[in-house]
Amino acid sequence: MAAPAWLLEPGTVPFDVANAGMHRLAERRLAGEIPDTLILLEHPPVFTAGRRAKPEELLWTTSEVEARGGLVRSIDRGGSFTFHGPGQLVGYPIIGLGSKPDAVAYLRGLEDAVIRTCADLGVIAGRLEDVQTGVWVGDDKICAIGVRLMRTRVTLHGFALNCETDLSWFGGIVACGLPDHGQTSISEQLGRRITVDDARPIAARNLADVFGLDLVPAPDDIASIFRVDDVA
Amino acid sequence: MTSIQMPQLGETIIEGTILKWLKTEGETVERDEALFEISTDKVDTEVPSPVAGTVTKILVEEGATVPVGTALMEIEEAGAGAAAPSAASGGAASSGASGAAPTPEPSPQPAAGAASSAPSSAAPPAAQTPPPARVPTAPASAAVAASVPDRGPRSQILSPLVRKLAKEHDLDLAQIVGSGTGGRITKADVLAVIATGGTARPMPAAVGAPAAAPALAQPMPAPTAGAGEEVVPVSHIRRAIAEHMLASTQTSARAWTLVEVNVDHLVKLRERVKDAFAERYGVKLTYLPMVVRATVDALLEFPDVNARLDGDSIVRHRYVNMGIAVSYDAGLIVPVVKGADGMNTIGVARAIADLAARARSHQLQPDEVQGATFTITNPGPYGSVASVPIINQPNAGIVSFDAIVKRPVVVDDAIAIRSMVNLSMSWDHRIIDGELATRFLARVKQNLETWDFAEDLGV
Repeated sequence: MAAPAWLLEPGTVPFDVANAGMHRLAERRLAGEIPDTLILLEHPPVFTAGRRAKPEELLWTTSEVEARGGLVRSIDRGGSFTFHGPGQLVGYPIIGLGSKPDAVAYLRGLEDAVIRTCADLGVIAGRLEDVQTGVWVGDDKICAIGVRLMRTRVTLHGFALNCETDLSWFGGIVACGLPDHGQTSISEQLGRRITVDDARPIAARNLADVFGLDLVPAPDDIASIFRVDDVA
Repeated sequence: MTSIQMPQLGETIIEGTILKWLKTEGETVERDEALFEISTDKVDTEVPSPVAGTVTKILVEEGATVPVGTALMEIEEAGAGAAAPSAASGGAASSGASGAAPTPEPSPQPAAGAASSAPSSAAPPAAQTPPPARVPTAPASAAVAASVPDRGPRSQILSPLVRKLAKEHDLDLAQIVGSGTGGRITKADVLAVIATGGTARPMPAAVGAPAAAPALAQPMPAPTAGAGEEVVPVSHIRRAIAEHMLASTQTSARAWTLVEVNVDHLVKLRERVKDAFAERYGVKLTYLPMVVRATVDALLEFPDVNARLDGDSIVRHRYVNMGIAVSYDAGLIVPVVKGADGMNTIGVARAIADLAARARSHQLQPDEVQGATFTITNPGPYGSVASVPIINQPNAGIVSFDAIVKRPVVVDDAIAIRSMVNLSMSWDHRIIDGELATRFLARVKQNLETWDFAEDLGV
């Protein structure tokens, strides 16, 4: 039975704004003030370093990254480096896992939803369980997944599905700490352009199916957390 | 005294690392206040206190990795020794949490002007219902089930990469000792076995591009039209087709094999789902993508059919680029579905629809008609029931999928009416022989007759 949940689709949002926003929402979800919330957005180019990232896995200097129009951020999720940028669908589900949280089941659920989304777009993707969480096509990663739990009970961070990502950005890092694995995108697999706009509604439907969410648009005061039009 | 343990955050998480202590010995803590941060191979989190009290003992150093269930910290509950109910004793209002068992998050409360941070009155009424805890609820979809094989016991969990490596090198996985977590066999384990004498099948040497096909004779002066005749110059496309076809018949040793396929269930399936499919995926559902999928599977099973002859070598392709013969106003063109082995039926249907549409509007790019490793032609819509196609060089074969017709067939020694199709292949006897050609076609037939495409179509 689907439970009401909020859907936020704010478009392209700077990483710092989205990161702060998702933490605020997770605090409120933890306090029971809001229902489960799914945020689907895009970021301007940014490399994020998880807790397990090693400095040498960033192959470009910070100034090289900035010269290319990107940023580098250290954040509180697990895992190593990854990249977010235009053409990549980023999903941050803020979901309460209940009193017996099962992070593994949650990650499997995220992977399921992404695998279904790839299948609906025509790409056969799967898991490489010995290697790492995420969704893969052969030995190439099509979707990075990295999650944190707030006080073991509410999910933070999420997934990054390459739709038409400029994959050359991944040359700046040892992505996820795995030097032997490549990156791919839905567009690369299909030899045809698939945009974030193409993939977003399909991903929303599959996430709703997997996690039993009845998605309704989030109210305005929540949506405004991710709005950046008041930037001077 | 409450002992805080490394929490179990999932069945397969067996250990965790203390990233940071957020409290020191002697400090007081509130119930649900974060005590320390942990990192596991799946997820990071901070662990909250199940009780209010004072930290009396920290048992593990920062940075240590310990098994799930290891005691990490001791907390003397507030008022312990007095009569106050401890959390573990199950005080009605204080939940029954003990150890590091996480406290359930409160359900969302109606706004009702209570908490200042409650959702604004603009929140839809739906949001006021307390949502239950969320775990994946829906059953695995068809596509998921197809791509994720059943998992055995823990040590039998193998990645596709490990399976692939073992198969390529003829290794018996039962003989390999896994070094991964829980005894799993990792890529490194397999590579180590290969390095110490695992056998590898030799791959055929890749060689350069095939020799140029003999060209058609140079253009002749146009004849003059006789009575009742019309002289039409040969178009660029017509000339290219002519050269290609003639070169193929002069190059290959063509033979031909035909099988009959009962596609009754495919006809019924298509009738049932075609409208939903078109609505959901924006392309018309035809039989061709199903035939492509069934053929791709057989090509991967019989790589000699997915091959080309190159000098003294046969080059087997480990991927499938499927050429699809498309007729259009200027003649015939064979756009290529690149990487067809990585697509499900939906992906193939979309790719074919896209390529055919652009072929007919003359918008194909040159690289989109090159690199086919095998070809399928589909004259069925025009009514042909059997065709002998010319091989698209340098492929080893071309499959023809002709018209589906209702025919009387013998089923269990009775005559029944079934939707049948003739599926045939022209194949190059230089590369393969009749036995292989027939086994290959039998596999395509078996796939078409037994696969449940409903799963692959996602409708």
